[in-house]
Amino acid sequence: MTQLFTLFFVFVSHAFAITVDEVLIHVDQNLTYETRESNLTMTVVKAGRTKSYTMHSYGRGQDEMAMEYLSPERDKGTKMLKKKDELWMWMPDIEKTQKISGHMLRQGLMGSDMSYEDLMESSSWRTKYTGVITSEPMLDGHKVWAIELKAKDSTVAYPKRLIWVDQTSFIPVKQELYALSGMLLKTWVMTDIKPIEGKQFPTKMIVEDKVQQGSRTEITFDKVTFKVALPEEVFTTRWLER
Amino acid sequence: MGLLVSLAIRNLGRNRRRTLLTALTVALGTALLTMALAMLNGIFDSTIERGAGMVGHVRVVNPEYARREQLMPLSDNLPDPAPLVAAIQGQPHVLGVFPHIAMGVTAARDDQEIGEIFALLHGAPAAYYTDVLHLDKQLAAGTMPSTDKEALFGIALLEELGAKVGDKVVLLGQTQDGSPGRARLEVVGAVDLGNRMQNRQVWASLAKVQYVADLDVGATELLVQVDDYQEARAIAADLRQLPALQSLDVHAWDERAPFDAAGALIGTIRGIAASLIVFITGLGVLNTMFMSVLERTGEIGVMRAFGLRRWQTVGLFFVEAIAIAAIGGLAGVALGSPVVLFLHRVGIPLGEGASKLPAALPINQTIYPVLTPQILLTGFTLGLTMALVGGLLPAWRAAGIEPVEAMRHRR
Repeated sequence: MTQLFTLFFVFVSHAFAITVDEVLIHVDQNLTYETRESNLTMTVVKAGRTKSYTMHSYGRGQDEMAMEYLSPERDKGTKMLKKKDELWMWMPDIEKTQKISGHMLRQGLMGSDMSYEDLMESSSWRTKYTGVITSEPMLDGHKVWAIELKAKDSTVAYPKRLIWVDQTSFIPVKQELYALSGMLLKTWVMTDIKPIEGKQFPTKMIVEDKVQQGSRTEITFDKVTFKVALPEEVFTTRWLER
Repeated sequence: MGLLVSLAIRNLGRNRRRTLLTALTVALGTALLTMALAMLNGIFDSTIERGAGMVGHVRVVNPEYARREQLMPLSDNLPDPAPLVAAIQGQPHVLGVFPHIAMGVTAARDDQEIGEIFALLHGAPAAYYTDVLHLDKQLAAGTMPSTDKEALFGIALLEELGAKVGDKVVLLGQTQDGSPGRARLEVVGAVDLGNRMQNRQVWASLAKVQYVADLDVGATELLVQVDDYQEARAIAADLRQLPALQSLDVHAWDERAPFDAAGALIGTIRGIAASLIVFITGLGVLNTMFMSVLERTGEIGVMRAFGLRRWQTVGLFFVEAIAIAAIGGLAGVALGSPVVLFLHRVGIPLGEGASKLPAALPINQTIYPVLTPQILLTGFTLGLTMALVGGLLPAWRAAGIEPVEAMRHRR
């Protein structure tokens, strides 16, 4: 029986003109960057209430990210700094830089459907997952590769991902994120794909937490610039307290 | 029958010392039983009253909050409780109305990572902490807070944080929208409720927790204190009729978890404790009566030899027992009641140890025994029953023995 399955998977993985690795290399090329500066709007809809945040964000490689909240008034001045596996937060009203760990990392980023852990995860899937292309269906009028990704180890937030990668832009236009138990935790949709400085980049993302029914987060990149020269200070705790 | 009664009265007077001692035992037993049951009543009433007070004799919440209360959903709050407080405040039997917020937070000392140590953060007016929770009497160190930047911390939480009075602690939770709700509070008092779980709480000002939860002037619940917690259901029913409260969930403490389910359990525990007291006291009375009749076995033999039938012999002891039990029982009630009434007025201090008991089973440091007609009736009935059983059983047995054999007991 095991041999039959092995044969099946060998057949499936060789039945398409492109391999999973090749698809993921293209995906990584689009979603990862050397440096990035962007303005974002995040709208969280939860229990019938809507709240919007605007942020200014900087990124360098896969391990460094800094973000400052510009609105609403209550959260204005809140800053976050991700460095490898560490997350720091500056909260203006308590005037303290606090390192976030443990349970807090699994909470929603500003109450959104994206957790702090999602923020922490490296966007390169090729290093963390192995996968198989299961089919080439049509999705919203576009031909996509349906890929099943399984985590190489247990350090990732989602042990299993089903992704649908657009064959033209190499953007995972839809993702389903699963727990180890097989429970669907989130869906992640990337839309409004635009060519920016040689990359295909999704300027809108919709994340839905499937555990909390009725919850939805929309992230819109109002402005994105790649390959910008960023001051070294941005990725230090000094910047948080400035 | 008249002969039996006059014989019985004569017998009672014949050995006055024995009659007095037996009646005294019944009286003491009845008095002790009355006092013990009243004391038990006092302990249970005090525990329930305090527990009910902690969760609000009557509680007013958003119906959705009541439905999902285990999740403590901050978004299902009372956005403007002031008019509700005003409407409830003037109602009969209402002593106080306290807006309250409870929310989960993670805590850390200034120099620690945050996210691993959990606590329950309370926000309420200072009067709720002193008049209802009596936290000022549970301070292991420090003082009560006087500003919004200060708070009381449970000793287990302080221990886990490695913090002490005077330190500053950062609390991070989620606002009603899920964004980070934060506060940096100075520990001014360490509270010991005698229970590790209860000692993982933080008590801050209402304004501070309203800010942390982003509730503006709102609260998640209104806790209403009334003058008689046992009448809370009726008071809740009256409050539900108020126009301002008609769309809200208004329920008495014993209509809500955990007291709704615990009511029967508390009744059973109370019944078992009362039965034990009744059994032990009853045994004393029974034993005295038993011995008092057994020592008269020879006398029973003589009466039987003179031609008294068995039922007449037993009847004679029955009348004697009734008389002793009635006199002893009444004397016991007369002896026990004033003592109970006096203790009810002045209270029985249990000492500092009582304040260290778990807050989940809160007992006041002073117990006030509660005397009820049922207790008086129980005391009297028990004295009577035990005296009858203790008198009749040996009499029945002795009256069944051959008179000659019974008379040998005299020697």
